[in-house]
Amino acid sequence: MYELRCESLEKSFGSFALQPLDLAIQPGEFFSLLGPSGCGKTTVLRLLGGFEQPTGGRIMLGDRDITRLQPHKRNIHTVFQRYALFPHLSVFENVAFSLRLKGLAKTEIQRRVDEIMNLTEIGTLADRRIHQLSGGQSQRVALARALVDQPAVLLLDEPFSALDPSLRVRVREEMRTICKKVGATFILVTHDQEEALQLSDRLAVMKDGRCLQVGTPKAIYEDPSDAFVASFIGPVNEIRGELAENKPGEWTVSSAMGTFKVRKNGIALPRNVSMLLRPEKMRLLRQRSNTQENLLEGEIQDLTYLGSRTEYTIKTHDNVFKVSEAELERQKKRLLNRRDRVFLTWKTEDAILLPQSAPK
Amino acid sequence: MKKLVLRLRDWPPSAWIFFAWLVTLSVLPFLIILAMSFAVRSESGLISWTFTLANYERAFHLVYLKVLAKTIFLSLGATITCLLVGFPVAYYLARATPEKRQMGLMLLFIPFWTNFILRIYGIVSIFGNHGLLNQTIMRLGLTDSPIEILYTRFGIYLGLVYNYLPFLVVPIFSALEKFDLSLREAAMDLGANRWQTFTRVLLPNVREGIAIGSLFVFIPMMGEYVIPDILGGAKEVFLGRVMVEQFFTMQDWPFGSALASVLSMGLMIAVWVRMRFEQRKAGPTSHGLR
Repeated sequence: MYELRCESLEKSFGSFALQPLDLAIQPGEFFSLLGPSGCGKTTVLRLLGGFEQPTGGRIMLGDRDITRLQPHKRNIHTVFQRYALFPHLSVFENVAFSLRLKGLAKTEIQRRVDEIMNLTEIGTLADRRIHQLSGGQSQRVALARALVDQPAVLLLDEPFSALDPSLRVRVREEMRTICKKVGATFILVTHDQEEALQLSDRLAVMKDGRCLQVGTPKAIYEDPSDAFVASFIGPVNEIRGELAENKPGEWTVSSAMGTFKVRKNGIALPRNVSMLLRPEKMRLLRQRSNTQENLLEGEIQDLTYLGSRTEYTIKTHDNVFKVSEAELERQKKRLLNRRDRVFLTWKTEDAILLPQSAPK
Repeated sequence: MKKLVLRLRDWPPSAWIFFAWLVTLSVLPFLIILAMSFAVRSESGLISWTFTLANYERAFHLVYLKVLAKTIFLSLGATITCLLVGFPVAYYLARATPEKRQMGLMLLFIPFWTNFILRIYGIVSIFGNHGLLNQTIMRLGLTDSPIEILYTRFGIYLGLVYNYLPFLVVPIFSALEKFDLSLREAAMDLGANRWQTFTRVLLPNVREGIAIGSLFVFIPMMGEYVIPDILGGAKEVFLGRVMVEQFFTMQDWPFGSALASVLSMGLMIAVWVRMRFEQRKAGPTSHGLR
């Protein structure tokens, strides 16, 4: 088990440039590269797999510099986006491919293929042809094929995007179980934040060839370093305003909507800030409450019932807020309807404070 | 065959045109040749419709078997050469940018807008004893007497390769074009070097294109007449030439027909065996559910 490190890894082609990237991925970690298309996440994956050569920097696997190594000499395997299973071979032969290349004994190949096929629950498919497989089955075959010779690192290139949305959550859960059993290092590339949150031990959020933030899903969700990261990892409401210290240790943000109390953590902030509020951290009240510090009045413009929660669109006099309330919370109150007057509130510590980004 | 005709009623009119074309220009002439091969040549060189197997007995004489062997040998050699030259060309074209690809395909086919006979004489003017090649190397003092290329076995071989190359490039090109490049990356990723990627992944996936292309050129090569006639000279016999000789020089149509039938049947059996083999290989699973 080795640590995988990118050291000032750079790549430019055409108008795209991957800015010097430094990452250290721990052995056995499930790490995700998350970002919109064109952010450079796939480029990083292709550099790690050896399909592209970097224009600068190094890739280290343990103490070994693998930057210039051909793909077939790296102990790193890939599960491709469309799986790239060999159509001329059976499922068994697909999985056995890397072992056959190594010239292992027949009995050894049989044993190891059987083992991995049982782990990925495709044991019954051994004699099938590739075109007879469903999407979920293909994905497992691709996973088994990549895992069978025990790579140090497994790269996953949007492995769920070819699946039906209804399948994805279940397949992800299965994938997580398999990964934990295998114990290799996994690197997932995805543009789906839910996927990254569900699977990763840590993730990196990328945009325009730059890595914006690296951290655990919780850290990135609750303490984003940047407005893009905050909005990419999940829906967010923004209030722009000016930060001021009224009394020592007591900070407020004054905006066109009013003045709100905030809790300032250690980081230095400019005068113009964005206050970010997650929909599920906001609550709806039917009556004005004097005990609440932060209050906004508005009207329910739209509501969507989603079973476990209900999502509201609230129009205040000059802004629109998304609020998501758990169903239990909702049952405690009288049912709310469209065009009802409501008050929005949130806990002071739930507001995320960031420097204001350039207006969109 | 009966099944085919019965089902014909369900065929659309466009299929009828194809069927009519097939019958009048392919099936019927073949049946006529087949019928003639069992007839007898009369004294005056006409056909006398008396049933005999003598023509076939003669066709399997050692002399003709030798010609057949030589024809197979040359055609096979030329097909393999076409493959060796054509595969890289097809590979390049399949991977080139659309503009380069269009240009390449056009360059490949431009010679074929020239009359076939003219092209063969073009070869003569390059490779003949007084041709461009020999004149050049003699001027350079590399040799005193011209290298004999024309009117040798090599001349025929050269003509076959030159003339059939594009017909092999195209099917291989279209197979390679359909080949999913990510399969190549997957193979490399799993530890295959370039050669292993080529033999274990690329080749098996374009095998069909190679097989079709090879048959496409090998079959007409076997029956080729003009190329061996012009480039092979008098001493090099080729099956196609022997057949034409029987028809037009010897006026022995029944025997010429027997030779032609043996060749056609042989090729048909070869193709049929290959098809059966392919089907068995794909197995019943290929019709399974997706």
